[in-house]
Amino acid sequence: MSKKFFAVLSLLAVASMLLAACGAPATPAAGEPASGGQPASGGQPAAEAQPVTLRVLVHQNPPMVTFMEEFNKKFQASHPNITVDMSVVNANDLSTVSQTRLSANDIDVLDIFGFANAAQPYMKQVDSPNWQQLIEAGLLMDLTGQDFLANYDTSAISDAGSFNGKTYAINLGRVSYSGIYYNKKMFADNNVKVPTTWSELVAACETFKAANIPCMTAGGKDGWPIFVGAYGLTGAIYPDQAALVEGLWTGSIKWNDAKSLDMWTKMQVYARDMMEEGASGVAGDAAPGRFASGAVAMFPGGTWYASAIEAADPTLDWGYIPFPGSDNADDNKYLFGKYDQGWAIAANTPNKEAALLYLKEFSDPANYQAFVDAVGFIPTQPTAKLNTKIGAEVAPYLANFRVGYEQYWIAPKGAGQYANPWASYFMPFGTFDDPQALADQVQADLQAGLDAVK
Amino acid sequence: MSYHFGRGWARWTPYLLLLPGLLFYFVVALGPSVATAVYSFTDATGIKGAPMHWIGFDNYREFLFMGRASIDNLDALKRTLIFCIAVTFLQFALGLLVALLVNQNLPGSNIFRTLYFMPVILGVVIQGLMWSLFLYPLGGPAAKLLQLFGTRSEFLGGQPSEAFAWVIAIQIWANMGTTMMIFLAGLQTIPSEMYDAARIDGANTLQVFQHVTWPLLTPSVNTNLLLNIIGSLQAWQLFLVLVGYRNGTQVLGYLIYATGFGQTSGSVTSSFRQGYAAAASIILFLLVLVIGMSVQYFLQRREQRILG
Repeated sequence: MSKKFFAVLSLLAVASMLLAACGAPATPAAGEPASGGQPASGGQPAAEAQPVTLRVLVHQNPPMVTFMEEFNKKFQASHPNITVDMSVVNANDLSTVSQTRLSANDIDVLDIFGFANAAQPYMKQVDSPNWQQLIEAGLLMDLTGQDFLANYDTSAISDAGSFNGKTYAINLGRVSYSGIYYNKKMFADNNVKVPTTWSELVAACETFKAANIPCMTAGGKDGWPIFVGAYGLTGAIYPDQAALVEGLWTGSIKWNDAKSLDMWTKMQVYARDMMEEGASGVAGDAAPGRFASGAVAMFPGGTWYASAIEAADPTLDWGYIPFPGSDNADDNKYLFGKYDQGWAIAANTPNKEAALLYLKEFSDPANYQAFVDAVGFIPTQPTAKLNTKIGAEVAPYLANFRVGYEQYWIAPKGAGQYANPWASYFMPFGTFDDPQALADQVQADLQAGLDAVK
Repeated sequence: MSYHFGRGWARWTPYLLLLPGLLFYFVVALGPSVATAVYSFTDATGIKGAPMHWIGFDNYREFLFMGRASIDNLDALKRTLIFCIAVTFLQFALGLLVALLVNQNLPGSNIFRTLYFMPVILGVVIQGLMWSLFLYPLGGPAAKLLQLFGTRSEFLGGQPSEAFAWVIAIQIWANMGTTMMIFLAGLQTIPSEMYDAARIDGANTLQVFQHVTWPLLTPSVNTNLLLNIIGSLQAWQLFLVLVGYRNGTQVLGYLIYATGFGQTSGSVTSSFRQGYAAAASIILFLLVLVIGMSVQYFLQRREQRILG
């Protein structure tokens, strides 16, 4: 009796567990209207009639996140039925999180970097960039024809947010990453002239070192800030970076030819002699604070760091110049950069109206102006002004703004791990101590890939 | 014949009781594993709705034989084996030593057990953050210590071999508590009479360890060796947190993560290559399988020889 009773009890328990698991009512996804996203009666869109939670994803950029928090408050106040649930992820993880959340239909509005790295006709056997994969999988909404697109430069829309004649993202601004922040007071105190050539930059660093002041810092812990800082060296030699990429793929440019060797020699000086000792441990987010604290005289980095420097010390008097990679000042007039953050909408969002409303309000010229003022982007709306300090600093060079190498480059499959022009390969960040040896290694790693996909 | 769960339909009870567990295992373990094996023969991106094509052994060919990238992959494979050997033996030896020490009835031994075990309960991110701060080259505690000797180091951001050595050390620090606990549990099952008998027979400390403790610890030795080997072959999180994707430091586990989620090129628009990452996962799985099975075979034979 007791055995049977136990058996029946057990069966009931198992059956109820299985039924509970299979039959539990599906919890509506965050933001899903209770009615399943149907428009409310009277023809009103669901976003206006029913509570909506709008799921927004952005990458970590402190001034941008602060601005977005304020913008979200205002947006919610003017649309009481919409709650914005904003997630923030590290920039390195943005593509991964976007992919997984789009696949899980768990996101409405997402931050997406300007479309870049598209496969060119001369590239063989390369994979599509992640934004193209998302579009081809039908995960990004076609925004073509939306009114708010008219607020942006047509070039920004076509270059950074369109594919096959349709628009999938609005791009919010360009950034430069080939400049150097410098501490004006330190320069004046040490009688150092703002460098416009490579030799002047070397001399400036020697003067600072002699005065026991480390010349430069960068967020070496994150890896990429070290090589991003040296883009000016590549840019001074190869100002047309699209042509550089084509030349590398077609073999007309080699990373170990005489011209490139000059670049590697300077990169070694940059990594070994200009960077402060210990820069490899400085996190990317901490580097602007270290510069603002007066610990170093210069900080090679992107324009997006300006807000963080100002936040760390609003009284600091600083300037921003293109990295002088050449001894001919005319070669150093370029700023290299990229299209940075943009907005896209998930194609399968149940909150389409609310998502479009969010982008529309963000794109309002007044809101957009506040955004570029907070973040320091070079605007992509023609009516927006460069009101920021960094805007004033880069304004003289904007006519010479160029899209940088990393936005064009796709490595051939089979290329080795050194197939890039990165200063971080040099000691103390990497293992190389000889420019010629590194140049040969980089070219060999690249050539192996080119040969493999012939 | 006796039926523990009764006769008739009641005989199905044990199978039904097993069903939830089996279903869970199929859904979260076996299913994804089989799917990974299938994906490894495709150009899957991991994006829902993206087209996927059967490409045979192309991913394996690319991983093992295509250009210099394949040499880099084989270097990562070698590094994985070095990491496994170093972590397994050092963690094993330290765990055993510490277990023997805290097994003594010394004052404060419970506190030391807790201290040694504490890193295990910390998450990988916390472990990574702690060590990043400790090894901060601009005035961190380790840098100050080196300064006393008139030297300095870039620690995790410097030479790849040094960064790699630090990850080995931190992996051991993070997991030694588990090894210690398993040994401690084993030590406490050894009857004290065995030690008394050995002492009466005139055995010294080393002989007691050699002829009593070590043989009777065989089940703990086997468990620890297998756990250490498999755990270290699959390790990748600490590499991500401590050094990121840096030439000369990647192990296979981290390479799989980085290629699967488009983090290898330094570009924010890298493509997703989950089919290729799945092929690398299968290679890692085969490595773990071959090493794990061989070690288990050897350990089982040893256990039978010692304990009968």
